[in-house]
Amino acid sequence: MNPKNNLLIGAIVAVVVVMSYDVGVEPIAFFEGLPNLGIVAKEMTEFESAHWETAFWSMLETIEMAFIGTIAGVVISLPLSIFAARNLSSKFVYAPLRALLAATRTFPSILWAILFVIVVGLGPFAGILAITLYTIGFISKLQYESIEAIDFDPVEATTAIGLSKLQLIRYVIIPESAPHLLSQILYMFDYNVRQTSILGIVGAGGIGFYIINYIKFFEYGKAAMFMLVVLVAVLAIDWISVKIRDKYIMKAEHGRQLKPMN
Amino acid sequence: MKSEFFISTLKKQISSSSSISTRSIVQMSGVSASYDSKDLVLKDVTLNIHRGINYAIVGASGSGKSTLLKLMNGMMTPSDGVVLYNYQKPSLKNKEFKKSISKIGYIPQTLGLVKNMSVMDNIMIGALPRISGVKSFFKMFPEDEIKNANDILKLVGLNGKSKRKVYMLSGGEKRRVAIARALMQKPDILLADEIVSELDNVTAREVMDVIHDAQKKLNLTAVMIHHDMNLALEYANRVAVIKAGEKILEIGVEGEQIVDFQTGNLSQEEILEMYDES
Repeated sequence: MNPKNNLLIGAIVAVVVVMSYDVGVEPIAFFEGLPNLGIVAKEMTEFESAHWETAFWSMLETIEMAFIGTIAGVVISLPLSIFAARNLSSKFVYAPLRALLAATRTFPSILWAILFVIVVGLGPFAGILAITLYTIGFISKLQYESIEAIDFDPVEATTAIGLSKLQLIRYVIIPESAPHLLSQILYMFDYNVRQTSILGIVGAGGIGFYIINYIKFFEYGKAAMFMLVVLVAVLAIDWISVKIRDKYIMKAEHGRQLKPMN
Repeated sequence: MKSEFFISTLKKQISSSSSISTRSIVQMSGVSASYDSKDLVLKDVTLNIHRGINYAIVGASGSGKSTLLKLMNGMMTPSDGVVLYNYQKPSLKNKEFKKSISKIGYIPQTLGLVKNMSVMDNIMIGALPRISGVKSFFKMFPEDEIKNANDILKLVGLNGKSKRKVYMLSGGEKRRVAIARALMQKPDILLADEIVSELDNVTAREVMDVIHDAQKKLNLTAVMIHHDMNLALEYANRVAVIKAGEKILEIGVEGEQIVDFQTGNLSQEEILEMYDES
């Protein structure tokens, strides 16, 4: 370790301590309050499975919302990402578009959900709009970055054949960035299911509505059952996406490795 | 040994060189080129490629061979001198030239195949300039183009593999796809950059035979870059040797004679000496 690194680590520790004091971090309160967690945990084990049917249908609604939002967001993202890629568009198009996309990512989807509840009223539709908007911001960014990183060789070869820009996008850009896209969609859907699970807190539909209300009324046993449903659903989705990844993405990546070194 | 092989292979070409016309398709005069406007990768190269000929360019890595091809199809423009393709200056900015670019079959060293697409879709890329935007976007290919593609698949020995994804193919098969894509362009000329240099000897000759057959059938002009002098001599009517950006030798057959087009009529011994030096 050289002195410069020591100084840097010391400085970071000092900054964390000062900031903790500033925002009121109280480690003692944490340890004093730990028994409360025990009470909640005990009540949670008093599992009430009477509403499992409600939990199932509200989880299904959550997944449907996340799915619609993800797909709608991806469909809108595809053309946007092409306009936002520096190797395909002019500066006057991609610069403002990137700023706009960055703005949609600035706020978490729950804030967008509040906004859309004001616009379209309470219910799942507001949640779908929030998820769609957030997905657009995220997928567009991931996608224009992978477009910018695609193998340049086929682009050069097809330019020399005289393809139009639209044909270049359809036959080179989209297929070459497709394995990334599928992986990104799976990741986004996974993320959106978890996000949608809490959108109910602001009345934008989904299972979060039940969880937040049971917690508010100290019915931890019922809340625990709904949370367990979320956990099972998220695990199931994770398992399915691993299967899809293995079947379609690993194969393409493997093919990539087979490319002869030049 | 090398010398005997050299003479016998060149003489074999005499019989097959009858269809070469004297009209040139590519003319280069005093051409220099550079990537960063400092170091020249090509210096004062002059050459003339006739229609119907099988022209080979040989040289070591970094000698400027690939640049020579890119000057012919407008992917690069010279910093000095004149390049003419079909009496037009090749450049992506030249509107007149852009009309003929779809008929220049170009196979870069990296092949430039779209790995996640099927063999058929990759081959169809060669026909795209002839297909309208909307139809090509939805992959609605005209019947005659599909028939064309199937004929070409047969010609390059890939029939039955049209649905296979390119990343699943072997090195030799990938090269066949690249050749098929170029043939799908209905090309006037075929430019191929070291298409067989990474293949083993047997596969390399198989691929070269595919090109040779197609060339005879379609009366195609070919300009091929080779790493291996033996391959160049075996398949070409004329061979130019590039060394450090300069053309140091150009030999071919004319009548019954091996002619050095670079410096006039040299004796065979003199040519061989230069070949051994390169």
